[in-house]
Amino acid sequence: MKNQTKDLLFHVNAVSGKDNPSLLRVILGAQTTRLDFGYVATSYYIKGGWITIAPETYLQIKGDTKKYQLLDAIGISQAPVKLKFKSTKDFQFFSLHFEALPQTDLIFDMIEKLNGTPNDFNYYGIAIKWKDGVEVLG
Amino acid sequence: MPINKNAYQRYVVIDSLLRNKMRPYPTMQELIAACNDRLSINTKLNTIQKDIEKMKLPPPDGFNAPIYYDRYHRGYKYTDPDFKIGNLDLTDADIESIRESLALVQSIGAGRIDEKFSHAMQKVLATVAEVFDQPEKNAASYLQTMSPPVSRGFSHFELFTKACREQIPLSFVHYSYRKREFSAVVLHPFLIKEFDNRWYLYGYSEKHGAVRHFGFDRIYSPICLKKAFSKFDKQATLDTLEHSYGVFPIPGQKKQRIALEVSSLITHYFEAYPIHHSQQIKKHANGAATIVFDIVPTLELARLILWHGYHVAQISPKWFAQFTKELSA
Repeated sequence: MKNQTKDLLFHVNAVSGKDNPSLLRVILGAQTTRLDFGYVATSYYIKGGWITIAPETYLQIKGDTKKYQLLDAIGISQAPVKLKFKSTKDFQFFSLHFEALPQTDLIFDMIEKLNGTPNDFNYYGIAIKWKDGVEVLG
Repeated sequence: MPINKNAYQRYVVIDSLLRNKMRPYPTMQELIAACNDRLSINTKLNTIQKDIEKMKLPPPDGFNAPIYYDRYHRGYKYTDPDFKIGNLDLTDADIESIRESLALVQSIGAGRIDEKFSHAMQKVLATVAEVFDQPEKNAASYLQTMSPPVSRGFSHFELFTKACREQIPLSFVHYSYRKREFSAVVLHPFLIKEFDNRWYLYGYSEKHGAVRHFGFDRIYSPICLKKAFSKFDKQATLDTLEHSYGVFPIPGQKKQRIALEVSSLITHYFEAYPIHHSQQIKKHANGAATIVFDIVPTLELARLILWHGYHVAQISPKWFAQFTKELSA
């Protein structure tokens, strides 16, 4: 498929090992790929626990070895710094910006830690169909 | 070329001297002194000379000011005694009215609306201070209104107004306090509504297939989308809001007669501060009253009743009395 230069938005609904955080949106931009997440604190931890994202987190397209590295994290701390919650009822919206994925139909994974635990923010098989995207106005 | 602010300030001073019938024919030195004195600047002779020439130019560069140097009186004058720059024929009452209005706006806090409006208001307030010789900082010292801190999500106000005005669909992430879950929403927005200093965005939600409203505080990362704006019925929502106190109608309930039996104390407040245009008060001999509304029952109305506590003795219809009672449990 021919490369595009516009930014396209996709609403997705994917979860990691512990159903949390939810991956809500993917924006395939010409410069970066952005993933938006929502995390809801649970009563498993006193005061809701904490979240963080490993700076080594990357995206990888199925069938390809190339890793698209994390460039920026907004609304979440990068490890070893932790974003600590104050209660079990807290919540957090955050965005991760990666090197730009190709603007075409694809299936990709987000890997925080290879062969990690359900506590790691690993997401598999995120499917993007170019025709389902909506152009973002600048 | 547009007139810059500093030049405009000098024009205003020059204009005021030329119109002063008590001291006609101001000299060049008097014009310079007045500008220096009133504007706390160090104006030079050639600046005022250029200002006078500029003022004589036709709009938009100048004001077509009929300025004439009277050699006999050795001073300047307007050949048209009725001329004013800007040609605003403001009476003293008009000026006082503008002062009070601006003081009120300043007191409310223009920043509460949005940054762009705030900047615009600051310009107006600065200008009025110059034109009306009123110190900006004292404009609202005698007025105090509720100016709550900026709430979460309010930073999107300008984007939301643009989206409503230009019919631009939005994508955003919404967090439901009640369900405790995030979701991505595509909304075709048409209305911003404020109630009790809480702000809501109304529009057609693709996810819900219906018109919904979302609190600004629960909206994250709104993005404008390049897609066709859906056609849907806005009128039903507008009608409901017109006949509601609040923004959360009780599901399944239509506009109906709601009656409250209230104490004499609370009657005073309902008389002074009606909460809805349909409100009618049937006052009893002891000062208590039956307050009747033709209204869509809402969560906010029930909460208001609870807030009045034992001062509201009876509520009808019964289902609404029960609903209100359960709300307090």
